[in-house]
Amino acid sequence: MEERTEIRKRLNRVFREVFGDDGIEISDAMTAKDIDEWDSLMHIVLVVAVEKEFGLRLNAAEVGKLENVGAMIDILQARAKK
Amino acid sequence: MTEAEKKEILKEVKKYIKDGLHEKALKVLGGLSEPSDDFVMQSRYAALFKSIPEDALRLKKLRIAILPTSTTSHLGDVLKYWLAREGFAADIYEAGYDVVHQTALDPKSPLYEFKPDITLIFTNYRDVKCEVRPGSSAGEIQKALAGSVRDFTSLWDAIQKNSNSYIIQNNADTPYHRVFGNYEAAAPWGHLNMLRAFNLELAKAVPPGVTIFDLDHAASAYGKKRWCDMRYWYHSKHAFAPDATGPVAYDLAKVIGSVKGSAKKCVILDLDNTLWGGVVGDDGLDGIVLGNGPAGEAFVDFQKFLLKLKRRGVMLAVCSKNEEETAKEPFLSHPDMQLKLDDVVIFRANWLDKVSNIKEISSILNIGLDSMVFVDDNPAERELVRQELPMVSVPELPEDPSEYVAALSSHAYFETVSFSEEDIKRSDYYRADVTRGQFQKTYTDLSGYLKGLGMEMAVGGFDDFNLSRIAQLINKSNQFHLTTTRYTESQIKAMFSEKNKYCRYFKLKDRFGDNGLISAVILEKAKDGSLAVDTWVMSCRVLSRGVEEFVCAEIVSLARQSGCKKIKGRYIPTKKNRLVSRLYERLSFKMVKEENGETHWELDLDGELPSYETFIKKTSSEEYAGKKGL
Repeated sequence: MEERTEIRKRLNRVFREVFGDDGIEISDAMTAKDIDEWDSLMHIVLVVAVEKEFGLRLNAAEVGKLENVGAMIDILQARAKK
Repeated sequence: MTEAEKKEILKEVKKYIKDGLHEKALKVLGGLSEPSDDFVMQSRYAALFKSIPEDALRLKKLRIAILPTSTTSHLGDVLKYWLAREGFAADIYEAGYDVVHQTALDPKSPLYEFKPDITLIFTNYRDVKCEVRPGSSAGEIQKALAGSVRDFTSLWDAIQKNSNSYIIQNNADTPYHRVFGNYEAAAPWGHLNMLRAFNLELAKAVPPGVTIFDLDHAASAYGKKRWCDMRYWYHSKHAFAPDATGPVAYDLAKVIGSVKGSAKKCVILDLDNTLWGGVVGDDGLDGIVLGNGPAGEAFVDFQKFLLKLKRRGVMLAVCSKNEEETAKEPFLSHPDMQLKLDDVVIFRANWLDKVSNIKEISSILNIGLDSMVFVDDNPAERELVRQELPMVSVPELPEDPSEYVAALSSHAYFETVSFSEEDIKRSDYYRADVTRGQFQKTYTDLSGYLKGLGMEMAVGGFDDFNLSRIAQLINKSNQFHLTTTRYTESQIKAMFSEKNKYCRYFKLKDRFGDNGLISAVILEKAKDGSLAVDTWVMSCRVLSRGVEEFVCAEIVSLARQSGCKKIKGRYIPTKKNRLVSRLYERLSFKMVKEENGETHWELDLDGELPSYETFIKKTSSEEYAGKKGL
C-alpha cells in the first residue's frame, strides 16, 4: 500500500496548487461536493494538472471517472503498474 | 524563467494582492506570464487576477459577449487576464453552450440585454457544414461553400439588426486528421481544401462591423496535432486542447484591443546592431554587417519587415547615439540598405539620452508614448526606457538578428481590424508635417505662415468610401475628442440615413501635400430646435492651423440652413483630452453648465455671430481630388 500513500501525497500537492489552498487534505472518499471550487471548469484544470504531475495521458472515459479522489488514485495506481 | 521560478513569484503576487498592492501585483504577473504557458499556469494567472477588486486597477471597461458552439468557460477567465494586460476590464457574458442561433435570433435574448461592445462568435471546424462527396463538381463545391458561409452571415445579420455590437467571428481551424491524406490539399473537394476555401469565402463576406479572428493560424502556430485533443471534446466539448488556451486568449485579446484602437502607431529604431551589424561610426560604411553572410541577410530581412510595416501605416523613427551625418550614410549610400531616409518620419541621431529623444519624437509627431514601440539591441537602453517611460512598449530583442522579426511580431503590437488609403499615406503625412515645421520657422508671424501654406479643405457628408477612415478617426482619437464617443462602422453607417443627424468629414491639403481626412463631426438636431455636437474629432497633426475655426464655421452654417437657433456643445474630460477643454470658449460659445468637470456650451445664432478667421479655402470634393472642370 506504500505506493498508494506515495500517489496520494503527490496528488495532495496537485490539489493544493490547483485550488490555491494549502490547507487541503485529500481522502479517498472526497468528491467534488467537498470542495466548493471543484466545478466542471476546475475539473479540467485538475485533470490537466494530474496528467502533468504524473506524466501520463488519460483517455476520455478516464477523464470522466475522476470525480472522486479514491477513483483518481485507483486509476493512477493501475497506470503505474502497467 | 522556469515554471518553478514562476510559481515562487506567484506566491509573492498573492501576497501583494492580500496587502492591497494591486497595480504592483498585475505588473509582476505581467512580467512572468507568457501566452505559451500551459493551462494550469494560465488558470492560476486568471485566478490571481480575479482576486484583485475590479475598481482597484485603472482599466477601461469593456463588455464582451461570447456565443460559443463548444465549452468556453475555461477561456473566459484567461481571456479576462490577457485583456487586462491590454488595459481592459472585461465584463464577459457567455451564452449557454450551443444555443448560438436561438440567442442571436431572439431580440429579447440575454445577449441583447447585456448590450455587449463586442460579440465573439466562437465556433470550430465542426460547425462548417461544407462537406461534399469525393469527386464533386465545381458547381457542387460552390453551392456547398455558399451555403456554409450563409450559416454565418445570417448570424451576423441578426446580431447587427438587434444590437450595435462589433462582431468577431473566428474562421475554421482545419483539423489534423485527413481522410484522403495529402490528397485533400490537391482535390478541390477534399475536406481540407473545402475548409480552406470556406475561410477565404468567409473573409470575403465580412461586412463593416465584423472582423475575422484567425483561429486556423492560432491552431497552426500551436501545432495541429496537439491542438486536436479529442479527449476533451468527447468528455466535455472543449474544441481545442486545454494547453492552447493561453495562445488563443492572447491572440483574441490583441484583436479585441485593436477593435478598441489600442494598436501601436510608431516604431522607434536604434541603428547600430539593430538595423545592421556593427557600429557604423567605428567600422565605417563598408564595415557594417548588412547584405552578405547569414547575419547580413537577417538584418536585410528585418529591414524589409519594417518597410512592410511602414507601408501599412506604422511610422518608423530613428533614435541613435551617433553623429547625424555618419548615421545617415548607410541610408544614403549602402547598396543593401532597404530603408531609405524617406521611410523614416523623424531621424534623431545625437548624443542625448534616448528617453529625452523619445519624448521629443512623441511631442513632434503629437502621438502618445503609449502608441510607441522602442527597438534597441542594447539591454541597458531598453531597461532605461522601461524605467523612465513605462508607457512605451519595449520588446526584448534576442542576440541573434535572425530572430528579430519573430521577436517584434510575436507581440502583435500592430493588430488592426481595418485598412484604408490613409494608412498607406500616414508616414508621408507626418514627414510633410516635419517639413511644415521647418517652413514655419521661416515666418515670424503665424498668419503669414498659415497664408503661405495655401490650405484647401473639402467638406463632405459621410459615405461608404470614407467610412473606415471616419470610424478609425472617431475610435482612435483621444486628444482632440470632445465627447469620448466611440462608434463602430455599422453604427456610423446607420447614421447616413438618419434625418436628424448631420455628419461631415473634412479633408485638408496644402503646398506640402495631402493631409487626408483629418476631422469629422456628428451633429444632431434636437427637439428643442438646437443643433447638438454629438462628436467632434480631429487629428492632432493639423492643430493650430485654423481647422477648428473652419469646422466651427461649417457647423454654424449647417445649423442655420437647418433652421436651428442654437448650437450646443459638450466637453467630457478624460485623461487625454485636456487639449480641447477650452475649445468652445475660444470659439465664442458661452458656458451654461458645469458638473463633475463636464462642461456644457451654447452658441446663440440669433445674436451677432462671431467671425472665425481662417486661411483655408473651401473646395468641392471633385476639385480636391484634382478633377477640376467637368
